[in-house]
Amino acid sequence: MRFLVAGSLYTLSLLAAASGLVHTNLIRTVDLTSAPFIREQIGAVVQNEHASKQYKSYTIAVPASKHAHLASLTVHERKSGVELPTVPLDFDTKRNAYLYRATLRAPLAPNDKLSLNVDMTLSRFVSAKPAVMEPADDQQWVWEDRALVPSVYETRKQKTVVNAPRVTRHTGVLQRKSVVFGPFNATAEDGPAEVAFRSNKEQAAAVHRREYFVSHLGDDLNVLEHYQLKSLAPRPPQYDKVRETIAKFMRTRDNFIKTLLVPVPVTARDMYYVDEIGNVSTSAVTSPREAHGQEFRILQLKPRYPLSGGDQYTWWHGYSLPLHAYLRRQGARHFLKVPFIGHIAASASGKSELTVDMAVAENVAVESYELHVTLPEGATDIDVRAPVRAEIAYEPTWYYLDSTGRTTVVVSTGNVAPGDLGDVLVMYSYSAVAVWQKPAVVALMVFGVFAVAMAVGRVRFGLAQAANKKKSA
Amino acid sequence: MARKVLGLAAAEQLSLLRIAILGLISVVAIGSRLYSVIRFESIIHEFDPWFNFRTTKYLVNNGFDSFWNWFDETAWYPLGRVVGGTVYPGIMVTSATIYNALHFLNIPVDIRNVCVFLAPVFSAFTAIATYHMGKEVKNATAGLLAAAFIGVAPGYISRGLRSSCSCSPSSCGCGRCGLGSALYAALTAVFYFYMVSAWGGYVFIINLIPLHVFALLAMGRYSNRLYVSYSTFYVLGTLASMQIPFVGFQPTRTSEHMAALGTFGLLQLVAFAHFARTLVPQHHFQVLLRGAVVSLFVVGLGGLWTGRFYSLWDTGYAKIHIPIIASVSEHQPTPWPNFFFDLNFLIWLLPAGIFFSFRELTDNHVFLILYSIFAAYFAGVMVRLILTLTPIRTYLNVKDVEAAGSEAEAVPVAKTEAVAGVPAAEQISVSKSGKKGKGKKSEKTEEPAKSEPAPSSKPATAPGDERWNEELVVMANFLYLLFMFQWHCSWVTSNAYSSPSVVLASRSPDGSQHIIDDFREAYYWLRQNTKPDAKVLSWWDYGYQLAGMADRTTLVDNNTWNNTHIATVGKILASDEDTAYELARRHDVDYVLVVFGGMLGYSGDDINKFLWMIRIAQGVYPDDVEENAFFTGRGQYSIGDDASPTMKRSLMHKLSYYRFSSVMGGQGMDRVRRQPLPTEVTVDNFEEAFTSENWMVRIYKVKDLDNLGRSHHKVADFVGRP
Repeated sequence: MRFLVAGSLYTLSLLAAASGLVHTNLIRTVDLTSAPFIREQIGAVVQNEHASKQYKSYTIAVPASKHAHLASLTVHERKSGVELPTVPLDFDTKRNAYLYRATLRAPLAPNDKLSLNVDMTLSRFVSAKPAVMEPADDQQWVWEDRALVPSVYETRKQKTVVNAPRVTRHTGVLQRKSVVFGPFNATAEDGPAEVAFRSNKEQAAAVHRREYFVSHLGDDLNVLEHYQLKSLAPRPPQYDKVRETIAKFMRTRDNFIKTLLVPVPVTARDMYYVDEIGNVSTSAVTSPREAHGQEFRILQLKPRYPLSGGDQYTWWHGYSLPLHAYLRRQGARHFLKVPFIGHIAASASGKSELTVDMAVAENVAVESYELHVTLPEGATDIDVRAPVRAEIAYEPTWYYLDSTGRTTVVVSTGNVAPGDLGDVLVMYSYSAVAVWQKPAVVALMVFGVFAVAMAVGRVRFGLAQAANKKKSA
Repeated sequence: MARKVLGLAAAEQLSLLRIAILGLISVVAIGSRLYSVIRFESIIHEFDPWFNFRTTKYLVNNGFDSFWNWFDETAWYPLGRVVGGTVYPGIMVTSATIYNALHFLNIPVDIRNVCVFLAPVFSAFTAIATYHMGKEVKNATAGLLAAAFIGVAPGYISRGLRSSCSCSPSSCGCGRCGLGSALYAALTAVFYFYMVSAWGGYVFIINLIPLHVFALLAMGRYSNRLYVSYSTFYVLGTLASMQIPFVGFQPTRTSEHMAALGTFGLLQLVAFAHFARTLVPQHHFQVLLRGAVVSLFVVGLGGLWTGRFYSLWDTGYAKIHIPIIASVSEHQPTPWPNFFFDLNFLIWLLPAGIFFSFRELTDNHVFLILYSIFAAYFAGVMVRLILTLTPIRTYLNVKDVEAAGSEAEAVPVAKTEAVAGVPAAEQISVSKSGKKGKGKKSEKTEEPAKSEPAPSSKPATAPGDERWNEELVVMANFLYLLFMFQWHCSWVTSNAYSSPSVVLASRSPDGSQHIIDDFREAYYWLRQNTKPDAKVLSWWDYGYQLAGMADRTTLVDNNTWNNTHIATVGKILASDEDTAYELARRHDVDYVLVVFGGMLGYSGDDINKFLWMIRIAQGVYPDDVEENAFFTGRGQYSIGDDASPTMKRSLMHKLSYYRFSSVMGGQGMDRVRRQPLPTEVTVDNFEEAFTSENWMVRIYKVKDLDNLGRSHHKVADFVGRP
């Protein structure tokens, strides 16, 4: 292992030497306070030391192990604050890293310097340690990374600052509540960096799918959310129902997730909460609340069983929204603008009163996300603008009494960063005639059956009557 | 009189009305079965249908061929179950067909909803079939009344899905048997095939029809019609039924089917005799015939009877010999109040119906009489057979109501029709004289005094006023009865037969509904948090639900085909911890699930069923399990500290009460048995894995062997117990 690391470092430095760009200084700041999301900012001063070559782009390397947790990556110019367009490159097998290339606003001339900020959000990048723990004890989490920031360029000077709540153990130097690794120079040897901290914040991971269903005739936008949620909290050493029963009665703290809070628009109606084996009868919705200047209701879903560390729970819930609030039209062209992803918060609180803060907390990390938008039958020329990097596919769907079928837009992505990601915009053409397609087809079918029945009713099957007729004739 | 309404002549109005009435009856029949769906939700609420639901899902997902060849290794572990060969596939195939048809029309309903709404929809078909049979036996009015009765009769509702599914063809078929046309007989055979494919209760029909034929023969009512219809029916029906793998060659082998075969042979002989009678002196043939009849019937009865059938003859048989059969509440003899509960006034009108049938002894009426007598007997023997009684009750009672009506006058009949959901205009058909065909109740009660039709079965000796009173009394009585019947049926259906067994509903002091959902809580925990091939041991009652909701492998389930295996599970639950541990490990058991009602007062829990488990285990392992050892010295069934040592050592007792007293406090009581709790319960070989909110379902993991080779007791001594 050590050999491998040394080897890769060697190639890395070779490559760095070949390139004319160097980091003259680099500071990485890691914020652990918002776990399970880790925000990492790399502030780098980049200098072109090549004799003649100009550089138009800057490459960022994300190691494969870290890339599995990467939810977002943006590059800004520090002075102007302008975001640089960033595209993923192919996987670099030599470095075992994923590369991203940011295009600079102006080519970097020889001997010029540029300060860049690389912001990354990593989800689920801390783990519970010890992994087995009494559920009422304080949870401890560990952040594990390398001391040196991997890069395709030579880094002359660097350091890493880790901010964490209630640090219990670390391998760096504690300076005013922060753990500092470094400074390191270009020849410094890489090593593990580790910070352990206490936090009783709930942490959960989820596989999420949100489905929008558009109905023009009913002025209805149906939202359906599938979740497969797993608690990341430490597992209890043994199952203890007695403790649980008493804790429930006394309302004392433990790390079992007892409620799932989903903010829904105030206009939402016809809400339901179901899992694979039927209704879950324990749910409620609050009166309108307000946070961040937005008004919403909170759907309080109780899972069938409290989720202890490592427990998994699958369910889906949904509601209806008035479509006109989300749809704009210009002639036959329709613009559907809906939130890209819904928010969910897990709560371990045993209190009966749940606050708005609990509902807006960012503690569920979505590892895999799919957005489905089912458009009405007859929608054509579909175009989608997603707010994040995602794969977009179109699938045919047949809904109740459809004849030609309708299109479902499927937008899929991996880790999703927290916060308001904005809206997804779906554009499509839908003519006034298409609205009448279904009623017309159904009416035709009914008339067809009627006509067939009439025809069959007039056919004579009996022989006797025919004979009679002949006789009378 | 023949005023046109909506441009329809009287006869057309009549048929329109009939269709409308039948439609309304269907709506009522469907509606009265939807209490639990509306009050709770659209899921399968009972234990057994979970299997049908699961197999239907399998059929829909994998196609018919793989369903037919499905070997389910997740049931009856480690034996597995040949599902294709051990089911009556009618219901699954029907649901799957409906599902596929709907999906073909781009109506993407969920398979669960198809299964949930299949029974109510089929009950509407039952009502329609009943109408046709009633029409056959008497007339259209009787048919409508019968349909209205069967639509709401709780005896029918209580058995839900399969009953309505299977009895509609049966009742339809039986009615047509006497018609004497090869086409109808063939149709009957098709319905019979459908019933065979749907329900094991077809045995009842395949004995009843031959009996009818035999009775007719014995009454000297042989005719070519009878010959044609029975021969066609028997040959086609038997050949068709043999296509069901589960039935296979039973119709030629088992005693249950011998009567049909014997009658078939006998009928051939009789037919031959009739043919030959033209050639030989008569008295020779009578001697021959009697000999043949007696010998064939003896042969028919003399075969080997299976246990379940024995219990039909001797109600004590099962309890003594086959505890597994006796342990099912459905297999208990019917308590007398149940008859009234399920059938209301239909029950005491039955003898009157038989009486009226005797007065006009047609072939059809012979069938009705036989059916009613046998159904009454079987219903008395096993609760679940009460449903065979229901249809015949409704027919005979229709006859009663009708007869009573025609006794007093035609008017009350029309009245009763009106109550049963038939508008007054319908009476055109009833009083064939057609003199009075209008108006509301109040008008009509006055009218008959004037327009008295002459053909009355009762001589009109009294003066007009008295007759009027008489009619009014009879009519008011029947009106009241019909009202009460409807009322009672709705009440029974709503309160007794619509409470699901998956969830329990209770009311908080403030009147709001509180749903206790422990079963699904535990099943879903199993489904989500255990490895997909985990084997769960539980008593067989929960097998189908476990397979359906938890999607895990079970050792025994509601199919109960292997008594030994069930006894083994019973033995595991009844033996001490170490024996149970060894047996459980040998059966690869990962989890043990017990149902415990002590916290909530849920009386259907495993401790209350425990005696049956012991008895069943004792039947197979008499050396290892001894029922008497579970009682205290004074013969009490106790669970507290005064329980017998065997009881306290048994796995079931330990798993149920493990740590329960620490949450209920020192003075804790078991709320089901109202006894103080045992103070010290230790479980070393098993580890608590999950307990539901109200402690109703407790799941334990079978511990792995200790990696140092110690016994788990020693480990627990060393590590300490919670």
